[in-house]
Amino acid sequence: MSDPSGEMRELAKKLLENGEVDRIIGWEKGNLWYQSPPLFITRAEETDRLVFDDFAINSLVTYLLDERDSGKKTGIFVKGCDSRGLVRILQDKQIARESVYVIGLPCSGKKDPRQALSSGASESSQVPPAAKCEECLYPNPVIYDVIIGEAVEAKAKGDRFAAVKEIEAKTADEKYAYWTSQYSKCLRCLACRNVCPACNCRECAFDISKPRILAKENNLSHNMVYHLTRAFHAAGRCVECGECERVCPMGIPIMQLNKKIIKEINDLFGPYEAGVKLDETPPPLGTYQTSDPEEFM
Amino acid sequence: MKRVGVFVCHCGSNIAAVVDCERVAKEAAKFPGVAFSIDNKYMCSDPGQDLIKKAVEEHHLDRIVVASCTPRMHEPVFRRATENAGINPYLFAMTNIREHVSWIHTDREKATEKAIDLVRMAVAKVLHTVPLEKSSIPITKRALVIGGGIAGMQAALDIADNGNPVVLVEREPTIGGKMPMLDKTFPSLDCSACICTPKMASTDQHPNITIYTHSEVERVDGYIGNFQVTIRQKAKYVDHKICTGCGLCETKCPNKKIPNSFEAGMGNRTAIYKAFPQAVPNKPIIDAANCRKLTKDKCGVCAKVCPTGAIKYDDQDELITIDVGAIVMATGYDLFPWKEAYGEYGYGKYPDVITGLQFERLVNASGPTSGHILRPSDGKEPKTIVFIKCVGSRDDVKGKAYCSRTCCMYTAKHAHQAVDKIEDSHVIVFYMDVRTAGKGYEEFYQRTVEDGVHYVRGRVSKIYQLGDKLIVRGEDTLLGEAVQVNADLVVLATAMVPSAGSGEIAHIVGFSTDKDGFYQEAHPKLRPLETFTAGVFLAGACQGPKDIPDTAAQGSGAAAKASAVLSNRSMETDPLISQVNDAVCAGCGVCVGICPYRAIELKEITQRAGGKTIARRVASINSGLCQGCGACVAACRSGALDLKGFTNQQIMAEVDALCL
Ligand SMILES: Cc1cc2nc3c(=O)[nH]c(=O)nc-3n(C[C@H](O)[C@H](O)[C@H](O)COP(=O)(O)OP(=O)(O)OC[C@H]3O[C@@H](n4cnc5c(N)ncnc54)[C@H](O)[C@@H]3O)c2cc1C
Ligand code: SF4
Ligand code: SF4
Repeated sequence: MSDPSGEMRELAKKLLENGEVDRIIGWEKGNLWYQSPPLFITRAEETDRLVFDDFAINSLVTYLLDERDSGKKTGIFVKGCDSRGLVRILQDKQIARESVYVIGLPCSGKKDPRQALSSGASESSQVPPAAKCEECLYPNPVIYDVIIGEAVEAKAKGDRFAAVKEIEAKTADEKYAYWTSQYSKCLRCLACRNVCPACNCRECAFDISKPRILAKENNLSHNMVYHLTRAFHAAGRCVECGECERVCPMGIPIMQLNKKIIKEINDLFGPYEAGVKLDETPPPLGTYQTSDPEEFM
Repeated sequence: MKRVGVFVCHCGSNIAAVVDCERVAKEAAKFPGVAFSIDNKYMCSDPGQDLIKKAVEEHHLDRIVVASCTPRMHEPVFRRATENAGINPYLFAMTNIREHVSWIHTDREKATEKAIDLVRMAVAKVLHTVPLEKSSIPITKRALVIGGGIAGMQAALDIADNGNPVVLVEREPTIGGKMPMLDKTFPSLDCSACICTPKMASTDQHPNITIYTHSEVERVDGYIGNFQVTIRQKAKYVDHKICTGCGLCETKCPNKKIPNSFEAGMGNRTAIYKAFPQAVPNKPIIDAANCRKLTKDKCGVCAKVCPTGAIKYDDQDELITIDVGAIVMATGYDLFPWKEAYGEYGYGKYPDVITGLQFERLVNASGPTSGHILRPSDGKEPKTIVFIKCVGSRDDVKGKAYCSRTCCMYTAKHAHQAVDKIEDSHVIVFYMDVRTAGKGYEEFYQRTVEDGVHYVRGRVSKIYQLGDKLIVRGEDTLLGEAVQVNADLVVLATAMVPSAGSGEIAHIVGFSTDKDGFYQEAHPKLRPLETFTAGVFLAGACQGPKDIPDTAAQGSGAAAKASAVLSNRSMETDPLISQVNDAVCAGCGVCVGICPYRAIELKEITQRAGGKTIARRVASINSGLCQGCGACVAACRSGALDLKGFTNQQIMAEVDALCL
């Protein structure tokens, strides 16, 4: 893939200069070779800092929520996975389509800084592709105003639900042992929630004090309340960007549960992928229909 | 300090036989907030209710818990008792220690412990209740009936007799629906038109009924008690205020060969026409598509002959808006389009393969053949007639999976009429089953068999024309042998399907249809005439295939339901409905699509954020529509929605009471 940074900078500069957007969200090169953190700029002079290298893995779309009441227009760079998150936020009516200028970047896979660190590599070429990118079905943005670079072919191999089937094969006791061992690791840093494009409420249920559904103390019982509730709140809405699992400092397989729910929805309501079409008919869990399956009644 | 009173009921021995009620009351006295507790033999009796009143006075109680039977049964009684004792009726919680405990458990010790837990939860819940007030919404005392078949007429007449004005909207130029097309009706064989046309006339003449024929409902806004309806009165090209209905125009119209849908295509009409002589209103309209004046600006003969000058070639559609409080849906049925599905019966290319409705017109004395059964191809009297039942019914490959309910009976009627009217006739009915559930129905069918009608169990696999005969091939599954009949006429009992456009009108009015497109009732057994939309009721074949007695009964039933709504100036609404916390609501709108009652809309609010005033959208609940089902509360992730009387906080308190 050729380096699109030049084009990105030029476009960003133009957008800021002629006042089409008030700010740009992209990536810049960090202090370490394996970091490309988010970059927020409002001045045309700063656009030279923009990069799109192997480590531009963060989705930037949840930053749009910070400006939802500002009335400002943002130019934002999105990869395929990020763009589905953007569709989520738009469908949830948290920002208006007119308030973003979307610059699409086809992506053939990024690398995970943590893997760079743990693999002992000293340069990018030695780092394996990020785990979430191995399962990517949408390397090209599904929504954009302009696109930079050539479309990329999806290379996902294997079964979308392989990890789910692993769990399904376990007995109830084994499942319980598995999940409790995972959830007991959780620090409740809430990084997974904060990065999730589907977690876009103004006030998160976990932060509301009356009624308090999640106690502050960190114990298995409350960690489970946290994780199960989080998964249900994302049910039918998770866009499979994999950001939650990527950011978890404890390596909890968060996507495994998300995918289990996605699989259930597919089985019950037919094939469904969230965040792919902006103007889709209401999603399966977002409508009331008398024909909805109700096997328990 | 909140002061809760707990009342534990024995229900005679219903509860006390398994639960130690005295112990439950003693334990309850120790729960936080409980100021008084007692057990009693019958809480719902007058002395039981007085007990609440006395205890409130003596112990200054401000909240009540009753542990007894299901709230379905006596919750209203205890709410009233609470209110009579001077406490807001919603500062009350009921817990069920009968159905949930004594009737399903035998171990006295464990049952008692469970009852104690349930009371503990109810006390925790009631401590978090707040006083709620009923609100009221005004009711427009007028009903709308959509569809003027027997269902719609019956409903309109009954509502009107109840003293309320009714607007009846019918899209055809006449009311009546299918019934006046029929000849005789099973099982009594009385003349259909003779019982239907008087109903049509009464509907027309009723001072409380306004009829809009040749009209359709285009838009419905609002909610129970307060619907705003827009009706499109399609151009009639005849001023009905002036027209006397003399019919001269019809005799002079040169365009005489237009198939008349009232004759099910068996007879013709002119471009200016009344569907049939007893049409209501008994005045013609011009069918614009076939009128030479309106299409080619030629002719104009009707205007010339009309003695009153009623013809108005420049007539336009008119939009009429009315307010109504209740709506009855009575849009009836159509027949399954068999020609598109049944290749083995010739896809409609043989003129002597007709439907039951066409047969009705053939035997009808006022029909195109003056009641002589003559076959369409050559006008000869058929001797051998084959009836085929379940065409499109009970056939989930080509047609519908369901049974159309009326065909067994009307085929028996037709077979009887054929034998009766045609000498030396040979009548064969191919059937899958004979279903005659109904008063006098089985007797009627038996009589048909005694008349000499030959019933063959089996489906017909092929019909083809050979000379002037229709060769009907099928199987007699009882004898296990192939059957061939050389027939003169074949009559298909085609399935009843929802009338054309019923899905659209359901969408306009705002309720749902079932998998076959029939209107969805709120509960198949207990609320068969209601929809999920408050104030919208169902009558007749639009809800599912049915015959005239059932249709008329539903018409009256729906009228009773609608009249109940209209009987008050205003309607109290239950305060146990959903509420929105604007500050928390993110305006994502997931609840809008979830609500089965369309009670939620997004509305704009302004608020201060980041030092300036912003406008944003939040959910808003219509108290007239919300039924308090709680679906939205479960769907709302941030917890901005909450169900009054069942708040998240109350439920969490119950859970905590049980688990902590
Ligand atoms: C061949 C045949 C023979 C039958 N014989 C018998 C019998 O002997 N005895 C018996 O009990 N039953 C019989 N039936 C059944 C009988 O026809 C029905 O039970 C009855 O007509 C149902 O009445 P309805 O008012 O529900 O519907 P319909 O008669 O269909 O009336 C519905 C009316 O609503 C109007 N409409 C539809 N959509 C709209 C709209 N969107 N806006 C405004 N108006 C609309 C239609 O134009 C129509 O006028 C027979 C049926 C068939 C097919
Ligand atoms: S990111 Fe990991 S540790 Fe943090 S809350 Fe989520 S699961 Fe727990
Ligand atoms: S409680 Fe039920 S009826 Fe009321 S607004 Fe919510 S979903 Fe609709």
